[in-house]
Amino acid sequence: MTDFVRAARQAAQRIAAAEAKGTHAFLAWSEAALLEQAERLAAAGAAGPLAGEVVAVKDVIADALFPTTCASKILEGWRSPFEATAVRRLREAGAMVAGKTNCDEFAMGSSTEWSAFGPSRNPADPARVPGGSSGGSAAAVASGAVTMALGSETGGSVRQPAAFCGVAGIKPTYGRVSRYGLVAFGSSLDQIGVLGKDVASAARLLGVISGRDDRDATSLDRIPLGDPAPASRSLEGTVIGVPAEYFPAGLHPGVRAASDRALARLKDLGAELRDVSLPHTKYAVPAYYIVAPAEASSNLARYDGVRYGLRADGGGGLADVRAVYRATRGRGFGPEVRRRILLGTYVLSAGYYDAYYRKAQRVREAIRADFTRVFAQGVHALFTPTTPTPAFRFGERTADPLAMYLSDVYVCTANLAWVPALSLPIGRDQGLPIGGQLIGAMEAESTIIRIALALERAVDATAEVR
Amino acid sequence: MSWETVVGLEVHVQLLTATKMFCGCSSRFGDPPNTNVCPVCLGLPGALPVPNEQAVWLAVRAAHALGCTVHPRSSFARKNYFYPDLPKGYQISQFEEPLATGGKLEIVSPERGPVTVRIKRLHLEEDAGKSFHDRVPGMTAVDFNRSGVPLIEIVSEPDLRSPAEARAYLTTLKQVLKYVEVSDCNMEEGSLRVDANLSIRAAGSPELRTRTEVKNMNSFSGVERALAAEGRRQIAATERGEEIVQATMLFDAAAGEVRPMRTKEEARDYRYFPEPDLPPLVLAEKWLASERAGLPELPAARRERFAKQYGLAAADAAMLSASRALADYYEAVVRGGVAAKDAANWVMNDLLALSPGGERLPLPPGRLVETVRLVDGGRLSRQAARRVLAGLAGAPEAPALEVAERLGLLQVSDGGAIAGWVRETLAAHPAEVARYRAGEAKLMGFFTGQVMKKSHGKADPKAVNAALAEALKT
Amino acid sequence: MSVTRRDIAKIAALAELEVDDAAAAELERQLTRILDYVAQLSEVGDDAAAAVDERAARLRRDVVAPDPLSRSPREIAPAFQDGLFTVPRLGELDRGDAP
Repeated sequence: MTDFVRAARQAAQRIAAAEAKGTHAFLAWSEAALLEQAERLAAAGAAGPLAGEVVAVKDVIADALFPTTCASKILEGWRSPFEATAVRRLREAGAMVAGKTNCDEFAMGSSTEWSAFGPSRNPADPARVPGGSSGGSAAAVASGAVTMALGSETGGSVRQPAAFCGVAGIKPTYGRVSRYGLVAFGSSLDQIGVLGKDVASAARLLGVISGRDDRDATSLDRIPLGDPAPASRSLEGTVIGVPAEYFPAGLHPGVRAASDRALARLKDLGAELRDVSLPHTKYAVPAYYIVAPAEASSNLARYDGVRYGLRADGGGGLADVRAVYRATRGRGFGPEVRRRILLGTYVLSAGYYDAYYRKAQRVREAIRADFTRVFAQGVHALFTPTTPTPAFRFGERTADPLAMYLSDVYVCTANLAWVPALSLPIGRDQGLPIGGQLIGAMEAESTIIRIALALERAVDATAEVR
Repeated sequence: MSWETVVGLEVHVQLLTATKMFCGCSSRFGDPPNTNVCPVCLGLPGALPVPNEQAVWLAVRAAHALGCTVHPRSSFARKNYFYPDLPKGYQISQFEEPLATGGKLEIVSPERGPVTVRIKRLHLEEDAGKSFHDRVPGMTAVDFNRSGVPLIEIVSEPDLRSPAEARAYLTTLKQVLKYVEVSDCNMEEGSLRVDANLSIRAAGSPELRTRTEVKNMNSFSGVERALAAEGRRQIAATERGEEIVQATMLFDAAAGEVRPMRTKEEARDYRYFPEPDLPPLVLAEKWLASERAGLPELPAARRERFAKQYGLAAADAAMLSASRALADYYEAVVRGGVAAKDAANWVMNDLLALSPGGERLPLPPGRLVETVRLVDGGRLSRQAARRVLAGLAGAPEAPALEVAERLGLLQVSDGGAIAGWVRETLAAHPAEVARYRAGEAKLMGFFTGQVMKKSHGKADPKAVNAALAEALKT
Repeated sequence: MSVTRRDIAKIAALAELEVDDAAAAELERQLTRILDYVAQLSEVGDDAAAAVDERAARLRRDVVAPDPLSRSPREIAPAFQDGLFTVPRLGELDRGDAP
């Protein structure tokens, strides 16, 4: 019988200690909320697969206890009157919601610097970003506040911060986890993802929240994730593809050293390494930065001040509803969100739709076809660096949006192609975590998890790589 | 210069489903405002749409009834614009891949006779909420009960040539859609709404010139008046040498005129793109084929069959087939043993008198058959039958005979009673008897009247005549 | 692909976003830069036929079963009167083809 109350108290202590260091991983949490959940679970004698676990939830995911602000002024204080399916499932499995974690506003960003409520700090180096947009969740896990967290991905927003912070992060196959209750950013790309102190923790959480939801028409039928802790740790018979496009000549030396070491470990475990090519890789970021903003411009139209959230009333009242829209959205959205809404509106507008949005979706098919072809040739998974560099410093990339976008170059391919991918820590460079990425075929989470578990044991993630 | 008006209609029809298009809220009309709402139809952050299967089935049925090609694969799209009653800031509709295309509706034009109006497309979409601009001073007030209700949009080609034709199109369309039970098509309740496009050209010219959109018409007669007003306006403007500017015109029913909405410099840009939250709508070919085959007989076919099979005049066939309920009723009465033409008279004259508007049929066909039998059997006069029917309308559980008895309307055909009344009458009016026997045949009417009075109207007139004729012979 | 001040004004209007002059100037630069960057997609040929989305929408039974709201419209609305959401009025808003 799980001691929920003890688990809650211990979690509260850990969170308080981590936040006291200035991590600012959380936007909202309280010991009282934890205890209330614990008491209810104890009274019910709950005993699910996550009984007693305490899970942090990214603030773009609706829950019943805390506000869901999406780190935006336009939803400041917004308490969702319904709960995300993923959150309901983890609670039904006996877990408690630790609180809501910080992120880039509406999940648009790669560092949490676009949060309207201040950035989070990388526990490995507080002068550096934790990555984004799920930077708060990654920092919460990396700081020891929690062992598991929910994040979200549209263009790598779980894997990239996981890599920067030195934790495990998994993006499932598109449709694997219900999006009901995930505040939409880029609907054809969005997925709730998981972060964990290790691959097994992340996989456990993923197993609980996965599966078809009648409230999400794009969710896939429940397919078992497979045994996350298989008996054999050998990778004999496993073919790992190494795509040339992810290892350019000028790759950061720390990242290269870590990747080389990881590949050597995979080989030691018995895997066959195979050089492959995914020729459309370089078009992934441009395609992503058309599709995602386009869909975002539509998804964020609902924030108009009419039914909920911020309504800006200029002093002395406003003449008309158009003025309400413009003032609310102009003041409620931050600069990156505004930028993406305008970009997205532009690429969907009359005269530009074919050249931009339709073209980008076609390029996406080419990217997907690259993966399909490689996996059809007997490759079980691809190994790549997760990010081109370790965590950068605050302020380094905020002046040039494009520089920020390019940090997603290795991760956004999987979002565009809908395939599952994960990042696990594979070493350090001058104390900064480096992540290695495994990308699998559609619905093959179990394959990449199996390989990741083996690699995780074979690699010392805290060791300097050069 | 002889002008021709060219009109196309876009009709939005609410489907008869229990729930909304993309969520499980009730789609019932008339509930207190904002009580049938949920995260999905309020556009709350994180909500997602899931399509209603009944809406799809009804849309398919409507498409088949209009002779459309239903596409086994169609997809949803977002139409993006801002309006207070559009909660997501976009409407989920269909754009590049609609459910159905290429149908037709045969109408009777008052000017041109039978006309085929081509239907360009029929697609599924969701309704917006309802805005009230005058409920709260200085504010627009919104009720989201209607937000998300399933609609089909039916777009005609510009094949209509007059306001009267537009009206005929609407009446025929409504009849067809009600026949297949897809919608109530009630403009007063908002379950049918019409937007029109109108342009003019020289009579006989094939060109299509700049058209305006006409909106805010709230009845079929409103549509006719609005289009007449807009046609006049465009003709007058053109004859003055002015260009017709593309604009949206609003109909002002009180003034009987159209006036422009503020024109925008740029045409509206809806930025349509495929709805990423919904996979394509896929319908099995076999299922589509069986649905098409299973359509009920449509109004035009039924009307023709009534005329032919029952030997009815065109107007009568049309009246009896006006609604499916009425047509079914008529045929039930015929099946019950009443001769076709008699049944037609009974239904059109006696039954419909009891239900103005013909919307709700007041008594089951079996009861009407019983009543007709009583009349044919001489037990009830035609006038008395009307009262029996009225009584049955109040309480159709009792058989007609019982109602007739209760109301004391049964005719007396009893020879003895009638003979008695005849004897008394003739005895009371000897002078008239003598005059009748002397040749004033007209007095038969007088005697009949007297006998009927004695019987308090209950005597069977036929039997009375026969008895009088017999008694006056000698 | 150069984005002009007029473009910014037009898309800001479509997106109902207030953009002041200073922001507009910066956005001109940034959006031009981004659009120039994404223009490389034109290098990818259109030869392959567009892939067909093989999925099929799962439909929902027509049974009244709404996802309940733990807080009512009145409680979530910024302004609410007589059971209705209220916003400042604008004559007749041009709503286009909407029903």
